[in-house]
Amino acid sequence: MTTLVKRMRRSFPALGLALLAGAAVAAPPTLAESLLAQLAKTPPVSTPFVQVSYRGMLDRPLVVSGTMKWLGADHMERDIEKPFVAVAKIGDGEVSVQRGHGEVHRMPLARAPQAGAMLAGFSALLGGDVKALQQDFSLAADGGDAHWVLTLTPRTDALKRQLASIVIDGRNAEPRCLTVNDANGDTSITLVGELAKAGLRSDAPLLSAVAARCRNSR
Amino acid sequence: MRIGARIALYLTWLALIVAVGWGVATHLKVSSDLRDFVPPAKNADQGLLLDEIGKGPGSRLLLLAISGASQTRLADLSRGLDAALAHDPDFSQVANGSADLATVAAGLLPYRYLLSPTLDTHSFDAVYLRAQLQRRIEDLSSPAASLLEPWLRSDPTLETLKLAQRWAPQHQPKLVDGVWFSDRGEALLVTETKAAGFDPGAQARAITSLQTHYAALPGAVQAKLVISGPGWFGVEASRNTRAEADRFATITTVGFILMLLLAYRSVVPVLVTALPLLSGAVVGFALLAVVFGHAHGITVAFGFTLLGVAQEYPLRVFSHRRVGVDSVTCVRELWPLLATAIVSVAIAYLAFFASGVAGLQQLAVFTIGGLVTAGICTRWLLPLIVPAARRDMAATPGLAGAWHFLAQLPRPRWLPWLVAAAGLAIIVFAPGRFWQNDLSALTPVPKAELQRDARLRAALGAPDVRYLLVMRAADAQAVLALSEKIAPAMQALVAKHALEGFELPSRYLPSAATQRARQAKLPDRATLEASLQQAMAGLPFRAGVFAPFVDDVEAARSLPPLTPEKFEQSPLGARLAAMLMEQGGDWVGLGTLSGVNAPAAFAQLSHATHGAVHLLDLKAATESLIVAYRQRILIALGIAALLLCAAVTLALRSPRRALHVLGPMTLATLLVLAVLRAAGIPLSLFHLVSLTLAAGLGLHYALFFERRTRDEREDLRTLHATLVCVASALLVFGVLALSSVPVLRAIGLTVALGVGFHFTLSVLMAPAAHLRDGH
Repeated sequence: MTTLVKRMRRSFPALGLALLAGAAVAAPPTLAESLLAQLAKTPPVSTPFVQVSYRGMLDRPLVVSGTMKWLGADHMERDIEKPFVAVAKIGDGEVSVQRGHGEVHRMPLARAPQAGAMLAGFSALLGGDVKALQQDFSLAADGGDAHWVLTLTPRTDALKRQLASIVIDGRNAEPRCLTVNDANGDTSITLVGELAKAGLRSDAPLLSAVAARCRNSR
Repeated sequence: MRIGARIALYLTWLALIVAVGWGVATHLKVSSDLRDFVPPAKNADQGLLLDEIGKGPGSRLLLLAISGASQTRLADLSRGLDAALAHDPDFSQVANGSADLATVAAGLLPYRYLLSPTLDTHSFDAVYLRAQLQRRIEDLSSPAASLLEPWLRSDPTLETLKLAQRWAPQHQPKLVDGVWFSDRGEALLVTETKAAGFDPGAQARAITSLQTHYAALPGAVQAKLVISGPGWFGVEASRNTRAEADRFATITTVGFILMLLLAYRSVVPVLVTALPLLSGAVVGFALLAVVFGHAHGITVAFGFTLLGVAQEYPLRVFSHRRVGVDSVTCVRELWPLLATAIVSVAIAYLAFFASGVAGLQQLAVFTIGGLVTAGICTRWLLPLIVPAARRDMAATPGLAGAWHFLAQLPRPRWLPWLVAAAGLAIIVFAPGRFWQNDLSALTPVPKAELQRDARLRAALGAPDVRYLLVMRAADAQAVLALSEKIAPAMQALVAKHALEGFELPSRYLPSAATQRARQAKLPDRATLEASLQQAMAGLPFRAGVFAPFVDDVEAARSLPPLTPEKFEQSPLGARLAAMLMEQGGDWVGLGTLSGVNAPAAFAQLSHATHGAVHLLDLKAATESLIVAYRQRILIALGIAALLLCAAVTLALRSPRRALHVLGPMTLATLLVLAVLRAAGIPLSLFHLVSLTLAAGLGLHYALFFERRTRDEREDLRTLHATLVCVASALLVFGVLALSSVPVLRAIGLTVALGVGFHFTLSVLMAPAAHLRDGH
């Protein structure tokens, strides 16, 4: 994980953000590199998000929503506004989480692989250093303007132990969903941009239903 | 003796010195253990100090900072060094922030409910469990979810993480790339050596090993590693002192050789003059090896200084040789006086042997053995090698004039009394401290390094080296209970800024009583299952997901409390072992403190615990040991002075003659003290030893000037010998007095001043009549 985080650090400064207000560039149908390269934008950028987590120890999904910000350089922030308030900051190699106005809990990014994966996914979305990303992940792109899918599969054993894959769905120059598949079978899908604004239709949506929304134009 | 035989004997002698020297070097253990040097402990604190000094948790720490490269590179170097040191047998632990304490705590997993303080204030009822489970739901939505998830089924209240946090350093530097970084962008590490902090030899080995590990890391050359801490300072100080001493030794050796050539116009003295002294030294070391098996480094340094007297023996022989008379005869004539000097000094040093302090006994054995050996070599070996003189030193140009000048100097009888009175007045009334009790003041750490140490120490939250909190009780459990009891008071002291932080043994291991109390609060299986079911109502957790938790609580209910012995086998065991130990029947707990701002604030704590807890000022305790040592030295020196007076009186068979020898010696010593006091220099042990050396040299001057020869040429030879001796001593010690290292300056200044005063006074106070008699 450490190397992943490090790569991310290196790639961040080069990144421009293309998170929703993306440049109007259609993704070339086959090349992941050009897809990524053309999503570049300048920080700071923010987007609403809705995250749905499916975990083995829970009998229904967890849904949280709020705002995600890329602050430039190697800092990002994820503010949960519903159903509780919590601010998570990722940067300087650590994750800090503050629940409400309570104590700030910190931990090294190296020990929170999911946070690292999220950062990795975003770095891809933000249009960054494809080469750095390719050292840790094999990239695959599929689809067309109406719906494209970018899949990041870990290359290293250390990463594979934590993470099965990261999948990004999008339309035109607009990413819609970021799916993190943990090695233990847990999955979390983060809806961003227009899709997040639209919100979910159910408090406990089925994984297939959320995945379908990521794919569908509706 | 033919020239060939002389050369053969010379080479044999040299070979013997080398052989014995080599044997001694491989067998004598020169220790830096303070116990070999100071008197036995008089109170518990001194005892603790002797047991713990340098072994204490704070003093073995080395603080490391890596700078001068990109953050990524620095983090890589930090991880590389961390990994290398973790496997180095010289180091007991290393930390750079990357250690996952949760995995450490996992080893003690079954005991988590006994070790964590949660149950002191809560119980595992439905209300508490529900609040906790709601928190976990929130945690599972956070980016750190995957960090916590593996624990949750067996540990939904996160006791393992609480323990990890409890055991993590209180003030951690910020983590960048998973390792510690300072505000100035240096990667920080802290490591603990196995060797004691004040064992320069072992510290030097550990530091060399550390530097080798670092140099082997990729990219190490571009970055810079800075080391700090007591061990490093000790190593640096002895390295600097040695470097400076070596530098001066080169200068003085060249000067000394030139002076010998000038004085004797022959290379023979240059070749052989060092042999008696070297012989004395190797025999002295051999005696130490045989009698004690080891010696303290400071004892060796003191002994070598005192042995400097022996350098005069061969010089006297060279000056007193006569043309046409073989060296053996000349030495035989000179011997009674030399023997008087040697035997008097040897008898005087017996007082050191009787002192009962190991360090002083070693000093006595080394010095007496060395002086006697040097004397014997000068008497029976040296003349066999040295050929008969080609010229009489009495004929040295200007010597007769010098004698005449000295003989004509006015010698008012009241002068010595006036000088003595003035000297005493200065000694008594000069302002400033009389004694220097801080040995480290003699090898000071550069200010910049001290400031850096303070900065790194603050950044890493590393404990103070000077202060320790001492807790005493009858057994280990009582110490742990005491430690628990005072924790709130310590927190209060932190709140009042009396100190920045602390670490008590109970932070790692609660007392058995506390563990049992927590155990008693653990619910039985049926109760816990019922509470859990109530707590889970309406929450999205799957039914039965916390079965491992219920099992673990059930198991913890019947665990025997975790003992110190068992805890010490865990990865964190070394930390507890350094804080909890048996000492003289009692058990002692050591609390480490950081940023002690108000030492006086601990008096209240000490009072409240009836003295069971008190602040140990290691500096004060060390200084009290030094004071005790100095008192022994002073007593020994006093007795030595009396013995010397008796021996000289007996040898000269006349109190009046003895007064002519001892008077100048006493007065000169007084004057050196007066000058040092007037200059505001506090006296250290090194000054005392230097004064003793100077007095030994002064004894020679006085004895030889007092001698009645009724032979003008012999008197001139005496003057020649004394002038060469004085000049060589002034050369060696005068140069040393210019040193920037205080300990070298102390020795150099004191001996040089002493030689000057002893010479002047032994000339001025020699019986005037017989100085002029022969002329």
